Amino acid sequence: MRELARAWIAVGTQSVGGGTSTLFLIRRLVVERYHWVSARAFTEDWALSQLSPGIHLVALAGLLGSRIAGWRGVLISVAGMMVPAAVVTAAMTAAYGTIADQPLARAALSGMAPATGGMTLALALIMVRETRRHGRAAIVDALVVAAAFAILTFTRTSSILVIVSAAALGGLFLRRERPTSERAEE
Amino acid sequence: MAELGLFLVLLKDSALALGGLGSLPLVRQDLVATGLVTDAQVVQALAIGRLSTGPNGLWIVSLGYQIGGWFGAASALVACSLPPLVMVPATIAGRRFLMTPVFAGIVRGAALATAGLLASTGVSLVAPDVAATAWWQIGIGAGALWLTYQGRLHPGLVVIGGAVLGMLLGRTPVI
Repeated sequence: MRELARAWIAVGTQSVGGGTSTLFLIRRLVVERYHWVSARAFTEDWALSQLSPGIHLVALAGLLGSRIAGWRGVLISVAGMMVPAAVVTAAMTAAYGTIADQPLARAALSGMAPATGGMTLALALIMVRETRRHGRAAIVDALVVAAAFAILTFTRTSSILVIVSAAALGGLFLRRERPTSERAEE
Repeated sequence: MAELGLFLVLLKDSALALGGLGSLPLVRQDLVATGLVTDAQVVQALAIGRLSTGPNGLWIVSLGYQIGGWFGAASALVACSLPPLVMVPATIAGRRFLMTPVFAGIVRGAALATAGLLASTGVSLVAPDVAATAWWQIGIGAGALWLTYQGRLHPGLVVIGGAVLGMLLGRTPVI
């Protein structure tokens, strides 16, 4: 159990920026170094984690931890990855807070805002790319994305209502094929 | 906002989102639109989430810290950690259902809607007020979009690049 905790703490403290870098580190530790799960089991859990709500890497940690050591494994894996990373994140926020009102920090923020906006737009495009279908289905997919975009941009409709409605419509009309679960963003 | 209220809002937004950043439009609607936090604080949280260790969904922890200090950060951590764990019992109980076309359709519909919501949020972060947005900010947004989509540069470096350009070119913060 200590080794399991050490491995996940390493994931939480050594992978920067999330996404692919975190995913690769998890795979390297649990599959290649410690051989706790097979490559096939890892891939299966990763695919299932893409169906989860919230942070997919948390779902992956939970699923792998469950395979390795049951519910104790879930707790150790998720806490090991998340708690140290959260402490680092909160400490960075606290440190930034001490200089946030400085002119230079405000100028930096004026550049970070469009950068994070552009990254958010890119993530939207990547999500569309990785669930992409062809032919008429692609047109339906594009209409769903466009409708969600327009609703949030031009109306005050609840985002939750948009997501729940789209999920319900998806269960009824978009179920011909499974999503290609290649998304690495957690 | 009371601590329990913050926890419940973040729990709900995490539970209804796909991916670490999927909750961004929901959090913005719940916390920015109601005046509890500003867009500038959200941007700080997103940037720190990219520069910090662990999953980038931890930007919510940064936001929680800004709202309620260490207790807010802890509330946010629990709120964003619980929803994904539903997959553990769900996988044990219904692995077959999770692999059905119906469930795949549900996830696809939610993912496509999330993409549309994220696109809207991204546009409003790049240019919250079109008239007040400088050309170089549009350029940073376009560059960050391209670099992130290509995946050739670490996201932390994209954020740092934006900050450096902001320090060089920014005189009056827009947000």
